[in-house]
Amino acid sequence: MKIAVAGKGGSGKTTVVGMLARLLTHRGHEVWAIDADSNPNLAATIGVPAETRKKITPLEAGILKETANEKGQRTMRLAIPPREVAQKFGLPVADRLTLLLMGTVDHAGAG
Amino acid sequence: MCSAHAAVRHLLGEFHEPNVIAVIDMEAGLEHLSRGTDRNADVLLVVAEPYFKALETARRCVELGRELKIQRVAALANKFRSPSELEAVRKYAGAHDIDVLAEIPYDEKIQRADLAGSALELNEVSCARAATEKIAVALGL
Repeated sequence: MKIAVAGKGGSGKTTVVGMLARLLTHRGHEVWAIDADSNPNLAATIGVPAETRKKITPLEAGILKETANEKGQRTMRLAIPPREVAQKFGLPVADRLTLLLMGTVDHAGAG
Repeated sequence: MCSAHAAVRHLLGEFHEPNVIAVIDMEAGLEHLSRGTDRNADVLLVVAEPYFKALETARRCVELGRELKIQRVAALANKFRSPSELEAVRKYAGAHDIDVLAEIPYDEKIQRADLAGSALELNEVSCARAATEKIAVALGL
């Protein structure tokens, strides 16, 4: 199941995601917590120490490859299966809980 | 940033792990919905604080989520400090035909943890935690 959490800035999305991810883990589920915010704060919210946060490799366009679909149109798809993406980029935070981070904005005005 | 959004969109689109739950913290506002980043989500939870602009944003998120044909789109009433604030969220949701999946009260422990930059200890007795459990139950998890 894929649960996206949205809302206005400051509404408490990250806190809800952090609590929900950890509660689901406590309930025995394997959970991937994905921070898709370009201003990422989920790692801190689920208790990842600051030194470790710097070492997380964000998901990047490199996980995609261009292929042609059946109609011969160029299209993008994952270059490696989702589980491999999680193993390669994910940070194991706790038992059954993996954190993934979307690429972020490093420089203002870089597009 | 387009490529980063595309990476997330494809990860969700090609993700078929029956035993994994992905919980995705989207960007504030509506852009991820207009880009279709969440198109492949099964559930869209829209967090709504009890004030007008947050409720309006939540309503727009819900409408876009429905347009994307996400199976289940619902709101979470969050950080209300009084029964009247909760009632205001319920009333707004009712008027716009929005399902409220859970009602998470303002919790001082969360604010304290936020200020300290640390995680909320789940062991601490917390009414917010109890409300969050309701999300799991409502989703059959």
